[in-house]
Amino acid sequence: MLPVVRASGQLAVRRTGPASVHLVATAFGPLGGDDAEVRLVVEEGAVLAVRSVAAAVALPARDGDRPSVQRVLAEVAGSLDLRPEPTVVVRGAHHRVSVTAVLAPGAVLTAAEQVLLGRSGEEPGRWTGTTRVVVDGRPLLHTTVGLGPGAPAWLPPVAPRAYASTVHVGQAAGVLTADDAVRLPLENGWVATAWGTELHSVVRAVEAVA
Amino acid sequence: MSSALLTLADSRLPAGGHAHSGGVEQAVAAGLVHDPGSLAAFLLRRLTTSGAVAAGLASAACQGDDLARLDAEADARTPSPALRAASRQQGRGLVRVGRRAWPSPLWDALPAAPHHPVALGVAAAAGGLTPRDAAAAAAYLSVSGPATAAQRLLAMDPLTVAAVTARLAPDIDAVAGNSTRSADGSLPADTDPLLDLLAEVHSARKDRFFAS
Amino acid sequence: MPPDHDLDDYVDPYEHGHRHGGPLRVGLGGPVGSGKTALAAALCRTLGTEYDLAVVTNDIYTTEDADFLRRNAILPDDRIEAVQTGCCPHTAIRDDITANLDAVELLEARHPGLELVFVESGGDNLTASFSYGLVDVQVFVVDVAGGDKVPRKGGPGVTASDLLVVNKTDLAPLVGADLDVMRRDSATVRGEKPTLLISLREDPAATEVAEWVRAQVRARRLQQA
Repeated sequence: MLPVVRASGQLAVRRTGPASVHLVATAFGPLGGDDAEVRLVVEEGAVLAVRSVAAAVALPARDGDRPSVQRVLAEVAGSLDLRPEPTVVVRGAHHRVSVTAVLAPGAVLTAAEQVLLGRSGEEPGRWTGTTRVVVDGRPLLHTTVGLGPGAPAWLPPVAPRAYASTVHVGQAAGVLTADDAVRLPLENGWVATAWGTELHSVVRAVEAVA
Repeated sequence: MSSALLTLADSRLPAGGHAHSGGVEQAVAAGLVHDPGSLAAFLLRRLTTSGAVAAGLASAACQGDDLARLDAEADARTPSPALRAASRQQGRGLVRVGRRAWPSPLWDALPAAPHHPVALGVAAAAGGLTPRDAAAAAAYLSVSGPATAAQRLLAMDPLTVAAVTARLAPDIDAVAGNSTRSADGSLPADTDPLLDLLAEVHSARKDRFFAS
Repeated sequence: MPPDHDLDDYVDPYEHGHRHGGPLRVGLGGPVGSGKTALAAALCRTLGTEYDLAVVTNDIYTTEDADFLRRNAILPDDRIEAVQTGCCPHTAIRDDITANLDAVELLEARHPGLELVFVESGGDNLTASFSYGLVDVQVFVVDVAGGDKVPRKGGPGVTASDLLVVNKTDLAPLVGADLDVMRRDSATVRGEKPTLLISLREDPAATEVAEWVRAQVRARRLQQA
């Protein structure tokens, strides 16, 4: 069964395979003040991969300092693999993203995010990401990470420009540590995080502990 | 304010906190904490992440929220097994002394080894304190223990360390003040992956002074 | 004190001595290098076949003592618990005994028939002593090599412990320590409380100390009966 897709505003959705969709930005941005919501429903027995076609570049509001907001709400009874391209947050922008995944017992989830603060040679922007995963009505993971100038825990000497995190439910894995990377076990899953200066090395680091 | 708050936040309350460094021991080993400035940065990181989460949970527990639900929310906000164990160990210690210091039927609703902030909220309620008091104690304890640990490990001047802690007061107050639930009803969930990494590397070491 | 104050309102009804059932908890304290771990090992070997027993170790740094007991297969792993003391071995046995209580309770839960638990403190100085909220009786271990003035200097460990053990008597001639002086000074500062001069090298079974521990177990059983 092909995925049912519907979109409006700044995001379009393209079916790119029997079980995959790509998110396509229809405008420059997101811009400060934008508020986007992505709802995903993966029913029992269904498999869905969600990708994006290019990195998102979060820009400051034209007026004021409102953040851009993106909310992803996923209801999963089957299997969801959510791996968009990186988000680049330019100087002066604040991008807030939340991923809320509500899983039925036996559901499988992989959700990854990759963030780079500032384009090449640019001052970092600010990013706030919240992940909440609920399995069978019980909270499994709920964390908010704040990065960039003004984020309270973004302090030298550990104030990374690049950040990557992947959460998985479906197969258990234990603790694994590396330089600036860590995998933590969750019931029947894990969450891996890495941080550093360059996005490509951070992505490699998170894959190494994932 | 009731003076019960002073007892609850006193580092000499025998609840087991003295054996926990709140990540400072590993931060010192990694060279991240080595002087008063780097200690202040570390304490701020901790205060605004796990301190804020602890303040939110303690405040909600004091207010009478469902304790099993709060304990599950604390688990979800503490994915590091080492930090979970440290929190539950300190929760158990606080229940042991709290039950005797402030006898109350409220204790009976707690799970066996609750997360420390949840136990702290119950202790505050049993001691006749407000949710804001519970949040203040949680926020303060998130930095006072690590500050003492740093002083011991680095043989820092205790007066310098006392000054750092004292000057964090406005930040501690801000965290305690923001601890109540946000508009959508969710509790703070701020996290610092660096603290998770330090905690896991620390717990795998055999040569350590502190339990966490 | 205003007359309308009922002092009972201030006193927690659960106090030392009111703990019913459970094993006898014996504290082993004393300065670094006096032979606490060697004594714990000797007592485990001698008493391990008579009693259902376990040990809590409080190394100040590393889990060396716990590892020593494991390595020598003196006790199985699940009968040894090591606690960290946050640079303050003293605090962990006297001022904030939480971590040690957790360890003792864990051992009690794991071995419901437990009869005897030794809590070995991290090496400290002469002022260290156990809280009676943690242990029922305590043994303070000093050694001859520390000088024959140690008993005279006193300190809570020497004066108030339930048993003072002066270890390494075999070294007395080598370090010029006068055992009679130590025996006499101990009696002076300790009154009726017993002191044993031993050499674990000459008596690896710690026979006399083990006999004292047996007497404490019997006394506790009588008191609980």
